[in-house]
Amino acid sequence: MNLKRLLGLDTLSADYAYADDPIWGRTAASRVADRWTKTTCGYCSVGCGMLLGTRDGRAVAVRGDADHPVNRGKLCPKGLSEHHTLAAPGRAMYPMLDGRRVGWDDALDTMAARFRAIQAQHGPGSVAVISTGQLVTEEFYTLGKLVQLGLGTTNYDGNTTLCMASAVSGYKRTFGSDGPPGCYDDLATADFILLIGANIAENHPILCQRLEENPRTTLVVADPRRTKTAMLADIFLPVKPRTDIALLNAMAHVLIRDRLVDRAYVEAHTTGFDELQQHVAKFTPEFAAGITGLDADVIERVAMLYGRAKAGFIGWTMGVNHSTQGAETVNAINNLALLTGQIGRAGAAPFSITGQCNAMGTREAGFTSGLPGYRKFESAADREELAALWNVDGGRIPSKRGLAYPDIIEAALAKRVRGLWIIATNPVVSFPNHNVLMQALESLEFLVVQDGFDPTPTSAMAHLVLPAAIWGEKEGTYTNSERRVSKVNAAVAPPGEARPDFDIFLGLAEKLGVRDELFPGWNGPRDAFEEWKRVSRGRMCDYSEMTYEAIEASGGIQWGGERLYADGQFPTQDGRARLYPVEWQPFPEQPNAEYPFVLNTGRTVEHWHTRTKTGVVPILDAMSPRAWLEMNPRDARRLGLRPHDRVTVLSSRSQVDGVELRVTEIVAPGQVFMPFHYVEANSNRVTQSAYDPISREPNFKQCAVKVTKTETGAKRWKI
Amino acid sequence: MSLLLLERAQNGETTIRPRPGEQYRFHFDMSKCIGCRCCEVACAEQNGNPLEVNWRRVGEIEGGSYPFTQRFYLSMGCNHCLEPACLTGCPVNAYTKDAPTGIVLHSADACIGCGYCTWNCPYGVPQYNDARGVVGKCDMCFGRMEQGRAPACVDACPETAIEIELVNIAEWRGDHQAANAPGLPPAQQTISTTRITLPAEITPQLRRADYHRVRPEDPHLPLVAMLVLTQLSVGAFLGLGVLRPQGPIAAVAALVVAFLSLGASTLHLGRPIFAFRALRMWRRSWLSREVLAFSVFAGTAAASVLLPGLTAVAAAIGFAGITASAFIYIVPARPAWNSKSTLADFYLTALVLGPLFLAALGVQTPVLAIAAASAAQLLTSVVKLIAMAASEEFELRASSRLLAQDLRGLLVARLALLIAGGIVLPLTGHAGIGFAPALAAELLSRYLFFVSVVPRNMAASFFSREAA
Repeated sequence: MNLKRLLGLDTLSADYAYADDPIWGRTAASRVADRWTKTTCGYCSVGCGMLLGTRDGRAVAVRGDADHPVNRGKLCPKGLSEHHTLAAPGRAMYPMLDGRRVGWDDALDTMAARFRAIQAQHGPGSVAVISTGQLVTEEFYTLGKLVQLGLGTTNYDGNTTLCMASAVSGYKRTFGSDGPPGCYDDLATADFILLIGANIAENHPILCQRLEENPRTTLVVADPRRTKTAMLADIFLPVKPRTDIALLNAMAHVLIRDRLVDRAYVEAHTTGFDELQQHVAKFTPEFAAGITGLDADVIERVAMLYGRAKAGFIGWTMGVNHSTQGAETVNAINNLALLTGQIGRAGAAPFSITGQCNAMGTREAGFTSGLPGYRKFESAADREELAALWNVDGGRIPSKRGLAYPDIIEAALAKRVRGLWIIATNPVVSFPNHNVLMQALESLEFLVVQDGFDPTPTSAMAHLVLPAAIWGEKEGTYTNSERRVSKVNAAVAPPGEARPDFDIFLGLAEKLGVRDELFPGWNGPRDAFEEWKRVSRGRMCDYSEMTYEAIEASGGIQWGGERLYADGQFPTQDGRARLYPVEWQPFPEQPNAEYPFVLNTGRTVEHWHTRTKTGVVPILDAMSPRAWLEMNPRDARRLGLRPHDRVTVLSSRSQVDGVELRVTEIVAPGQVFMPFHYVEANSNRVTQSAYDPISREPNFKQCAVKVTKTETGAKRWKI
Repeated sequence: MSLLLLERAQNGETTIRPRPGEQYRFHFDMSKCIGCRCCEVACAEQNGNPLEVNWRRVGEIEGGSYPFTQRFYLSMGCNHCLEPACLTGCPVNAYTKDAPTGIVLHSADACIGCGYCTWNCPYGVPQYNDARGVVGKCDMCFGRMEQGRAPACVDACPETAIEIELVNIAEWRGDHQAANAPGLPPAQQTISTTRITLPAEITPQLRRADYHRVRPEDPHLPLVAMLVLTQLSVGAFLGLGVLRPQGPIAAVAALVVAFLSLGASTLHLGRPIFAFRALRMWRRSWLSREVLAFSVFAGTAAASVLLPGLTAVAAAIGFAGITASAFIYIVPARPAWNSKSTLADFYLTALVLGPLFLAALGVQTPVLAIAAASAAQLLTSVVKLIAMAASEEFELRASSRLLAQDLRGLLVARLALLIAGGIVLPLTGHAGIGFAPALAAELLSRYLFFVSVVPRNMAASFFSREAA
């Protein structure tokens, strides 16, 4: 502090001056830009349109795009402060090999040589790749081709498996293809909305605009926790954890029993009705009440409201997906939509609300759980078609999926995978059963982490760190939850020597000697986009008529139009959707005498994922600086715990210390909740290695824990 | 200065401009707010404020029992009150209530950073910006309103839970019940103009999410020194007037203490060089009156060294200063200060420390009077603590909880030091030695006075920014 300030002659008035922005009006002078770049938010998959303001090449502000059809000018607190991520401390600047700064040439030479050496000794599958939902589609498309055809391993998966895999699998099983059938406007037009395991007020707050526009709808929220979204509900269904299948089956039971089924639709467009009818016969409302903890008449009422709705919408997120029965739960939801014909019409959809900004892009183009363009590994025709498009031998297209994310980790532990490339994701925080993951990562011979930040908890373990550009520094497209392809643009240069992921992929392709074959003449994402347009032509996710310019001008283009399946034709062999009988099972790790609580995990509005980005935005960090544990007052009283005590959460695997206790009626007695964002108090130290056998998605949501007071030497009062 | 039209194209409204007898106000719809905190971030970006300064804040209230739990949010900028307590207390007239719009404006140029407005506002709206040395507050984005644009918070809200509207001032003065909400201090005190729409079915027992998170406030060390030392000096001059000791040494010493304390007080200011401006609003502000009284006291006391006849006059003016000091703190927004016990406390400090100071300088002093004053001071402290603990008011109970739990060690030390220095030592013939522990006791007492106050404020969120 200088003398003038000490005396009070200087009040830093220049720093706090206001100025007139020609577009946005009076604002802090520090936020006035000389250039605005139209782009799409890089956090979640709502896909909000925004303008990123720069002055002298530095990001100074963001503004919601008032003309954008998704968000109409609004942004959530993360979006409103997103420009702060670009120049935040902790950005990855230089390639680092074993802690030493190296040049890009060295880095990529080493990477290619090490991976090739491992593969030569242990087979092509001994190198695996884990990517993300945060690259642009052009990068996913490029990466898929590079990994599967260039690196020659099928052991490639992404964070999507920790997030959306259950929705993908559920959609594929019911409808024959991935692809959320509805759109956001359905939330504004439905006269009945069931949100199940979806806390959109916290996680997708911008979608709540659509609810606000639709005051006449009946909003039903099923959640074990009294979330912010549950507070918006007309009917709150406080289901016991993971009993949603019983609820959904009982709704199907009531629909069939009370003749609320759209017989014509079922007969024309589905198979499996008789088996379903037989299966749900036992799921009387009374039977489901015993499982879910709900009143039987409430279940009946909700079923009838849905059955009689002109347009019924069911939306879900992680409460459904993060489960060993995630894919089947999605099938149970889809059953309801098919039974009542609540699909393909305005307001009517079984709708998976996605997580990351471009999780949809990797599902479409990524070449992980399917071939690009929603093609199937199993289909010889699909493989041949792709091979022809790529002008490669058909035998090079794998005929089955490689290892899924959790199986890659397990294979690393067993030393069947020895080289791993992790791109823009942070499993040290986000993957369940942390100790096992750490052993797996430590077992690797060569770990490459490519990220926009370094160190992250994961990059800290890497042999080689590749610094990548992030949102705001590169170009391409994202697809949001409603299949809207939006343009993403660069407004600033990446810091230091960081490069767009796209350039890194081409660089590695060069070192692997496959660039000319796989990416002939490619220089930028536009080249990938042009090829992807050809590859997706005629597929459900058809980009062939899109151009960057048209996408940008229109605020995004939805492939498949506003809604899918309006004609009742489904991409299955027989063109019909499949009704699946789904059995309810209790979640795998039930509470017991030693671990009496069910731990639920989730998010908070201020943070995103593992906080590598939001944790470095000061205002977001200050608003929600650390993890907390929600516990019902009855339990807290019994355990002698008080609000703001620091507690330890223990499972049979490990423990999390120093979590701030929130004693609250938000959670039911016997259940506790903590957010999963924080490496400092990582909920995944206690979560389990239990996966959906169909989708391979982890059961993040329920595990048995006990809670004790954390012993600290520190005195309570400090002044 | 007049506002242009506030155009809201989406509603087709072209003019909502206050007519005479009207002003702008915020409307907050609690039934729509989802607690997303967009308004807070938008406000921070709009004004370029540092982390510690939050002109708009979101708080949380909760009640009921699972599954019938209720959770609601409050979002608040400035309430642009009809009786703005910030304005009334300001010693330098840094506040104005803009006549055409009713917006309460604050001038950073006029402000001297005394922070008195931050004690007067029951909503915690004016906030001291440590980097700048001045206070700042929500001005309803006055600059944007002039351009016919909505404030940043209104623009940012995805739920249209925050709006600007007009209020008829006379009608609102008559009935401002709609400014009340659970988690907010009563609107009556300052007549907040913010209209709040409550959810239809709201349980009466909603508790603030920060209920258990009560943290000690800023100790304001320069003020601790200033208060105790001015009181000591005034007490000493009273003693000099009564005891009339030989020689000028005691008077000079007491005068030095007076000047030291007045010097110390300027260290409290964000802009000490402009301390003189604090005299300006003596007609309205207790802070101006305090500065005025103590300035005159210091002058008279200095003169009394040469003209001993003025000693009693100096003491009388000094007590007027102490009275003004006390009334600075007797404000509704700080319930633990808002009682006559503050006045008693300050007077008694003068009566305990003044004579003990003289005793330490070798002046013969009546020990029974000292012991009686000390006993009265002890009683004041204990009675106040008990009364706070038994209070209906959350802020008072929270203050007592702070004193009895977090600050217990200091409280016990203070009481023990006062007993030793003010009662035991004087009664055993060691009044001179008693001065040091008694001074320590009163410094500690004033420290506790500042840190244990729990201000009235809007409910906050569960977390504090610093570790609990």
